[in-house]
This record gives sequence, structure tokens and C-alpha cells, in this order.
Amino acid sequence: MTVQRFLLGTSSIVTALLLQLTVIGRLPVPGAAPDLVLVLVVAFALAEGPMSGMTTGFLAGLLADGVADHEMGRLALAYALVGYVTGMLQDDDHSALQPFGAVLFGAVTWLLTYSAEGVLLGDIRLTWHAVARVAVSGVPYDVVLTPFVVPLIGGLVRRLDLDPLRRL
Amino acid sequence: MRDSRRVRLTLVLLLLTAFTLTALDYNTARSGPLAALRRGIDTVFGPIERTVGGAASSVGNALGGLPRLGSYQSENKKLQRENERLRGIIASRDGLQCQVDQLDKLLNLVAYTGYAIVPARVVAVGATGGFEATATIDAGTADGLASDMSVVTGAGLVGRTTEVSSHTARVLLLADPQFSVGGTLIGQAALGIASGNGSKPMTVSLASTKSVVPKGAVLLTTGSDTYAPGIPIGTVTGVTPDTNAISRTATIATFVDVSSLDLVGVITTSKVRAPRVPLRPVLPTSTPCAAAVPQGPVPTYSPTPSATPSPRPKAAVTPTVTPSP
Repeated sequence: MTVQRFLLGTSSIVTALLLQLTVIGRLPVPGAAPDLVLVLVVAFALAEGPMSGMTTGFLAGLLADGVADHEMGRLALAYALVGYVTGMLQDDDHSALQPFGAVLFGAVTWLLTYSAEGVLLGDIRLTWHAVARVAVSGVPYDVVLTPFVVPLIGGLVRRLDLDPLRRL
Repeated sequence: MRDSRRVRLTLVLLLLTAFTLTALDYNTARSGPLAALRRGIDTVFGPIERTVGGAASSVGNALGGLPRLGSYQSENKKLQRENERLRGIIASRDGLQCQVDQLDKLLNLVAYTGYAIVPARVVAVGATGGFEATATIDAGTADGLASDMSVVTGAGLVGRTTEVSSHTARVLLLADPQFSVGGTLIGQAALGIASGNGSKPMTVSLASTKSVVPKGAVLLTTGSDTYAPGIPIGTVTGVTPDTNAISRTATIATFVDVSSLDLVGVITTSKVRAPRVPLRPVLPTSTPCAAAVPQGPVPTYSPTPSATPSPRPKAAVTPTVTPSP
């Protein structure tokens, strides 16, 4: 992994998490706020494949766990899985709608994984009401964020030709 | 071949690592083996959050002054620019005025409760995912904060501090399902545990089935190791008997709207306690009726569940009675 690629990954994860906490979390939207970090993970997975997707997801999740109020590793696991499964979709389809489908697939995968972890750990926050709320508001909002994030990350990766992970 | 053995092996390793971290951090209450890692992330991330969060809210304040596109003559443009500049100033002054009002309410609360309060601004809200109700404030151990301190606004209880780094602290808001606090209903002698319900209204489980709980009764904190006593939480909006018939659940409209927080205060000291002096019997004097002085009106505290400041009880005014000859 080149230094430049590492810097691109780290800076985009930190920027996305900061935007998530300071701006997106305060947006006065009904329901659950969109998840910018998740869309970023899918964007890297679509640009470079499963290896990049799951490492980005793991590191972003670990950082997000560190600033959240739950056990470490929960978001890291969920995001790593999302990066892997959406990375497997790479190159299957080149239509303009593919990124939207991938983000939707990734968001649903995330919700199911995170909920399963919550049930396993006995997290009282994971009620049917809360899961349904994220499913009907947070997940569609994530899809709305797609055109702002996926082309940007794809463009950066292609332009700087920083894709040694693509061939893994 | 994308799905090579190497990719699958890495996936399994990452998932196992994540799960091991979760297992290590499970049920440790901020003192487990990963506390240092968490504190490290907070120490690095906190100052950036502070800076970005402060800038983000200043941008919000100045949004009213965003310049619009003018396509007229140069004078018109100049006037428009001037206009926008002034509008921006007014907008930022409105923002400042709003903060002044909030600080004023906090000061009222300080006067009312007698606690020392460290003011702080909310720099970040929520976590990724949408299941937690937390906020980050721009005060930390350097300002005298520690974990498990009550966080309030002028209107009432906001939550409690959890992770505290040197210059930032995380606050568990009262809407979070993991939040619970002991509460007392004013004038009802009914104790209960109030807990958050995510996006649904807060509920309080009342230990007594006998006492009448009217709508609009005010719930205050009972006081514990974490929460200072006497902080307003909310008003009762409805009561439903539980199926077990030994408790009742009341829904609460909280005084504080956690979705629009800006300036908050953290109660850092316990109340200054007056020394308790044993009451001694007073020997009857020649005029035993002299003690029967008419009492002044008893101060009652009844804030309305809204952002408007409620009138604070002034010191009880005792009417001076001059006995007629």
C-alpha cells in the first residue's frame, strides 16, 4: 500500500466521521440521520473491490466505535462485512443505478448485522421500533447520499491511480 | 479473481478481531482493557470535533446572511452586498442573543438549585447508526468535569456525562434507552424510575399504585451518586397501569428537547449543604401564641414543558403582621 493511498483512506474516513458527528447528526430530518461513513465504505468497495472495502470498513468502524457509546468492535465488524459484500458487486454491472443498489444492499446488510450483534449482546436499544425507524428513514437517506460520495471517491481513486488494492 | 483465498482469510481475520474487541469491551463500564484505546481515540478526535463543531454552528448562525445573486448595476450590487453584510451581522447577533438567553436561563437554574455549573457548548450530536442518543460537549477534565455528572439546560435535565477526555466529554442524553434516573413527582410522594425510549416519549415507572397522578405533575430528580437532586425532568402526560398491578407507568414530556441543544451546563459540585443543627425543645415562655406568625405563600415550582423560561420562585415573602392593639 502506498503512502498516498493510505493518506487518502485515512483522511476520507476522518472527514466523513467528523461531518457525520458535527453536521449530519444535527440535520433536522425526520427519523434516523443518514450514515455518511457507511456510504464511504461502499464507495471504496465499489472503486477498489472487497479487500479495500473491508479494510476501510474495519478501520472506519473502529474509529466510530471509539467515539460512540457502545462496545468497541461492533461497528468495525458490521462495516467490514458491508465493505466485503459490496466489494463483491464491483464490476458485475456498469449501469448508472449500480451504486444506488450497492448502497441500499450495504445499508440493509449493515442494519441486519448490527441488529444481530445487538440482540446477541442484549442491547436494550435494539427494539423493533428503533430498527424499523432506521430501516424506513436512515437506509433511504443513505441511498440519497450516494451520488455525492461514490463518484467523488471513485474519481479520486482513478485520478491519482492509487489502486494497488484493486488487483488483490 | 477477486474472491481469492487471501481476501476471504482477511475477512475472517477482521471479523474475528472485531468480535474479540467487542467481547473484551462487553459489560466493562469504562474500565475494561480497551478503555485506554477508547480514551486515545477521544483525545485525538475531541479537539478536532471541537474546532469543526464550533465552526459548523457559526456557519449555521451566519446562514441568514448568505449572499444572493444580484444582476443589476454596480450600485445595486454594492447596496446588496452592504445589505447582505448587515443581514449577516444581524443573523450572527441573533445567534449570540440566543446564547445569551440560554446562559441567562442557566444562571437562573444556578440561583434556583444552588449548584455550581460549568457551561459548555454541544459540538457534535449522535453517533453513526441512529440507535444512540448522545452528544459531545466542549468541556472536559481540564474544566473540572468527570464521568457521571448531571448535564442540564435552563429548562431542566439533559443527561449525564460518560466518557470524559481532557477537553471534550460525551453526554448520554435522556432520550437514550440506556438512560435512567430516579424521579419524584412534586406534591405526590410518588417515586419512580424514568427511562429514555429513543424516539418515543420518556416513561417513568412509578412504585406506588395508590397515589393519584394528575396530568401535568412535575417530575424532579430524586438525587443519587450521579444525579443532583431537584433538577426538573418533565411533566406527566398520561398514566397507564402495568399488568403486574404493583406499579404504574406514566409518559413524560421532557422540558428539554434533545434534538435542538446548543448551550448546556454540567453540575460539577454537590450542593452547598447547610450544617444540620439538632432542633431543641423550646421552653414555653409567657406568650406561647407569639410563635403563630402567619406564613407566607409556599413557593411552588411549575415550569411549563416548553423552551420559555418559567418564572422562578422568588424568596418567600412573609407579610409583616402588626397585631392590632
